[in-house]
Amino acid sequence: MKIRAYLYSLLFLVLAVVLSIAIGSVFIPPADLGRILIGWLYRATFSEPLKTFAFILTDIRLPRTALVLLTGAALGGSGAAYQGLFRNPLADPYLIGVASGAGLGAVLTMSIKWPYSFWGLMAVPAAAFIGALLTVFLVYALARVGKTVPTTNLILAGVAFGSFATALTTYLMLRSTGELHRAIAWLNGGSSQAGWVPVLTVLPYLAIGLGILVLSGHALNLLQFGDDQAQQLGLPVTRARTLILLAASLATAAAVSFSGIIGFIGLIVPHVIRLWFGADYRRLLPLSLIGGAGALLLADVIARAVMAPQELPVGIVTALVGVPFFLWVLRRAKNQGYW
Amino acid sequence: MIRKFLIALLIIPLLAACGPARTSTPATPSITMTDDLGRTVTLAGPAQRVVSLAPSNTEILFAIGAGAQVVGRDETSDYPAEALSLPTVGGWSGFSSESIVALHPDLVLAQGGGLNSPELVASLERLGLTVYVLPNPPTIEAMYTNLETAGVLTGHGTDATTLVDSLKRRVAAVDQKIMPLSYAPTVYYELDATEPTKPYTAGPGSFVDLLITRAGGINIGAELQGQWAQISLEQLLVANPAIIILGDAAYGETPAKVAQRPGWGTLAAIQTDQVFPFDDNLVSRPGPRLVDGLEALAKLLHPGVFK
Repeated sequence: MKIRAYLYSLLFLVLAVVLSIAIGSVFIPPADLGRILIGWLYRATFSEPLKTFAFILTDIRLPRTALVLLTGAALGGSGAAYQGLFRNPLADPYLIGVASGAGLGAVLTMSIKWPYSFWGLMAVPAAAFIGALLTVFLVYALARVGKTVPTTNLILAGVAFGSFATALTTYLMLRSTGELHRAIAWLNGGSSQAGWVPVLTVLPYLAIGLGILVLSGHALNLLQFGDDQAQQLGLPVTRARTLILLAASLATAAAVSFSGIIGFIGLIVPHVIRLWFGADYRRLLPLSLIGGAGALLLADVIARAVMAPQELPVGIVTALVGVPFFLWVLRRAKNQGYW
Repeated sequence: MIRKFLIALLIIPLLAACGPARTSTPATPSITMTDDLGRTVTLAGPAQRVVSLAPSNTEILFAIGAGAQVVGRDETSDYPAEALSLPTVGGWSGFSSESIVALHPDLVLAQGGGLNSPELVASLERLGLTVYVLPNPPTIEAMYTNLETAGVLTGHGTDATTLVDSLKRRVAAVDQKIMPLSYAPTVYYELDATEPTKPYTAGPGSFVDLLITRAGGINIGAELQGQWAQISLEQLLVANPAIIILGDAAYGETPAKVAQRPGWGTLAAIQTDQVFPFDDNLVSRPGPRLVDGLEALAKLLHPGVFK
């Protein structure tokens, strides 16, 4: 069971990666695709039209696939961690305001005309990242009671501050003249800076955040018994919770900084994994990483293909396709009281 | 401890991310110009394969006689009709960089002012494409400059100058007829009336505002804030415009429908039948057809003078 769960989800991920590389608005015949991939091994140089196809594969599709994969993994993994942390099936990585903080930072920055330079182009993702983390710290500070941080307080402070930030973002968008379109695209996961720079920039944050999460399975299992029980079983509850919260928020903040706000992956993927492979967090976390990556890759393929050469913001696809799929899984699930 | 850890987290990738290398290729008969983003763009010679990312750019390229050099367009570029047969590379919801690369353009003509984002420009530049961003012009005169820039980039400099001269003459002709008039009708230009109690109109600084003024009218939206300004039915009733122009005619608004909107019947423009459908593309795209728009507006506002 354990091995099969990993096998299935890895197969799913590989399939999604292959589709993501093979499908785009420019049709590359499968035979050419094979020839290019084999040619790489020999470091062959191609002539037209293979040269263009090879360039599209290496310089456009591969970096995009990598960024989407990382973003999906971050959202899936953080979603599972948040749900376990708050012991709440409605929790997703945006529960305590990461998305609204990032959105506020991004939209605020878009209203300024930055110089066209490396750092000018980094302004929006950097502001989104900082906005997200500041929100988490603020919410955490607001929710604190003495030395403990009750989860109910966290949720309430998070939702309240989230509404505040969203209202401010909407106000800024309504007032702006030229940036409305860009802002809406960003808020629906439609921002895409091509190339490897975004991938390399988010990688260290994700490695740290997701690394901590994957190792937190046991702690999350204990937390499911309630704080007192977990404490008695030897878990330093407050410290563990803070660390997991920070790690998940860090991963989410890094993921949204370049990709924009992508909803539902972090909510749905952990639930599907739980329904299919059980609720043991030691397994649920890594599987949610893999599942989130695969699911977002598929959504991105659809976003690119459905109206090609136009591209839809991927957040629209994750909701339109992801939600019916999840409801279908939910209806079919045999262990209805799984939570 | 945690604080130090977090500061370190913020710093690591900043160090890891290195700035992109800038390469300059000085060719002998090259064209070098600075674009809207302040980038210095160099072409080896006049561009022969141009992808246009904005409807105004497509209109400009065709108007200066560079239509045959255009190999791709955005989804909304629907004028002139020849442009429709060109392959599209994306549009309002996003562009496909691989479709652009596959067309092998030697120039991608983008538009600034919020239409094509700097992220898009950077992405295309990283893929080795030459991108020039035309500014979103604030005035008709600045639009002329865009025509001339596009002319230089595509080797149609003289055609562009000829076109600009003829446009200038047409504008001067309108100016000349409007100047002696002492009557300026109040105008309400409708952009969107999905909610008829608070429709959107053209605010100060928009081309519509500029052109209405130039066509000898008073834009009631000029008092509002923002280029896309919301006006309440109350404000509209007080302003009581003499003429209503339906820039949203393409979305199915007609003078008959406007007359039936609750509360609108008392407006002078409706009682005197001064409600006109209008092709918004003439005034919303900063290209040569702005002058067509100016002439059309002048005819609506002063039908006696323009026959």
